[in-house]
Amino acid sequence: MKVEFWGQEFEVNMVVGCIGGFLIAVMSSMFGFGGGPFMVPLMTVALRLPMYLVVGSSLLAIFFSTTVSTMRHYQFGNFDLIFFLAMFPAALIGGYIGPQIAKRVSPLVVKRVACAGLVLLALNLLGVY
Amino acid sequence: MKKRKGILPWLFSAMVVLFGIHVAGAAEPGAATEQAAGTMTAPTITIDKTELNNGGVIKVSGQAPAGKPVYLEVWAADHTVRANRFDSEKDKDSGKRPYVFYITSEMPAYYKTFVPKDLQPKIDAAKKEGKKWSYSALLKDLGADMAYSVPAKAKIDRYQSTLMASVVGSRGDLLPAMDEKENRKRSMQLVKARFQSIDKVVAALVEVKPDGSYTADIKIRDGLAPGKYKIVAVVDKKVKSEAATFENKIAFPTVYLDNAGTSMNLIYPFVLTLVVAIFGVLMGAGGGFIMNPLLLALFPALPHTIVAGTVTPTVLFSQGSGIYNYSKINFISWKLGSGIGCAMLLGAFIGPKLTEMITLDQFKFAFGWILLVLAALMLWQTTPGYLAKNKKEQSILKEFKKRAEETAKGKK
Repeated sequence: MKVEFWGQEFEVNMVVGCIGGFLIAVMSSMFGFGGGPFMVPLMTVALRLPMYLVVGSSLLAIFFSTTVSTMRHYQFGNFDLIFFLAMFPAALIGGYIGPQIAKRVSPLVVKRVACAGLVLLALNLLGVY
Repeated sequence: MKKRKGILPWLFSAMVVLFGIHVAGAAEPGAATEQAAGTMTAPTITIDKTELNNGGVIKVSGQAPAGKPVYLEVWAADHTVRANRFDSEKDKDSGKRPYVFYITSEMPAYYKTFVPKDLQPKIDAAKKEGKKWSYSALLKDLGADMAYSVPAKAKIDRYQSTLMASVVGSRGDLLPAMDEKENRKRSMQLVKARFQSIDKVVAALVEVKPDGSYTADIKIRDGLAPGKYKIVAVVDKKVKSEAATFENKIAFPTVYLDNAGTSMNLIYPFVLTLVVAIFGVLMGAGGGFIMNPLLLALFPALPHTIVAGTVTPTVLFSQGSGIYNYSKINFISWKLGSGIGCAMLLGAFIGPKLTEMITLDQFKFAFGWILLVLAALMLWQTTPGYLAKNKKEQSILKEFKKRAEETAKGKK
């Protein structure tokens, strides 16, 4: 498939994109996260697309999957309204404060902290400690 | 004389009526069983308070026939929760996997059996089996299966799952209802699926003296459903006391989550989400994949299905605002995004179904590995080679974005 973006044309391998997207969607909807951190590497590395094309488009793609997964979770009665209302305003405020702090911290440090945090969480889930 | 004779049948019939009323009134478990049991008298039960504030200790005491172990069955009478289990274990006889999905919405939000103190070693032995412990075997071993009555009455639906049904995301075909015995057996498996650990469903706390009097300090933990709880002392299958009732009260900001079946101080998830959301923005990711495992690790009482199902819509809105911002400056390739998006639609249709079918342990296991992969991805993104390449990419990104913003402004 050919995609035109800001005056440039890119050839996208949709077979790889769709299979990858499908798998990411199953996984992310199953475990209840967005899937962005997997989607961006898929599009930049496997599809060889430039970052500036990927940032917006990957967001759109995972928005599709998150919408459907929300509906399905709701259908199965997995959604708790009060719990949601406790988290949702916090997420909004966080989304507002975040960008203002972002200018002052190095993304490299953030990523390394995140990395350590993820490993700790993973080991906790796997029952290592 | 004649008059007197006339009265006697009246008296007799009045007695019959009274007796009838007595029997009808005794449809409550205690008294009825007393009659059925004949020789054995039903135990008595008294509790020292009738109200708790988000958990606490209740002293239960009473008198039971001497020399008999006393079991206390405690459950939440006002709130029920959902419990489900996917049976894919090989049948011992036929070697076939049944793939049957059991679900009930009538599981008490709290259910626990308290057994005599001297049975503690048996509980410890069951704990050694690790995650493979069997609730029914444990009850039998403790002699507590005769005290097991409330969840056995829950109406359980069962569905025959097939691969095809999973692909289209349905639960499968509804199978005919089970008989009482089968329902009881399956309900025990659902009790385990719902309450997970041995500590949540049994405890050896009842002290029985040789003369048959018993006492127990029942600890009701915090974070449980509010409303009425009932306690019944059980000595034999049909020898039970009246139900003693106490009420568990909770006050804001602790709120009962109806679907999750637990009470929770709402300030914790609020603060947690705030921190994670900020961190998510810094990291350039939604934050859902940190939120989920954190919630699971910090609030073990929350079922994983609820966690996944509630975090998803939270993430949805941050994505929506992101898309809106990018679309304002026309920075989204709609063709590419919706092309891959369509494939993702299918995947997202199946995913939530799978969440329901796996157990908490499988959920944690898979999620643990996903996080490790993610951590590896993140680490790769901090390596010098990636950074050099990324720097170039980022500057191109900035340049294009600037151009897009200017164009968007120009149009106005």
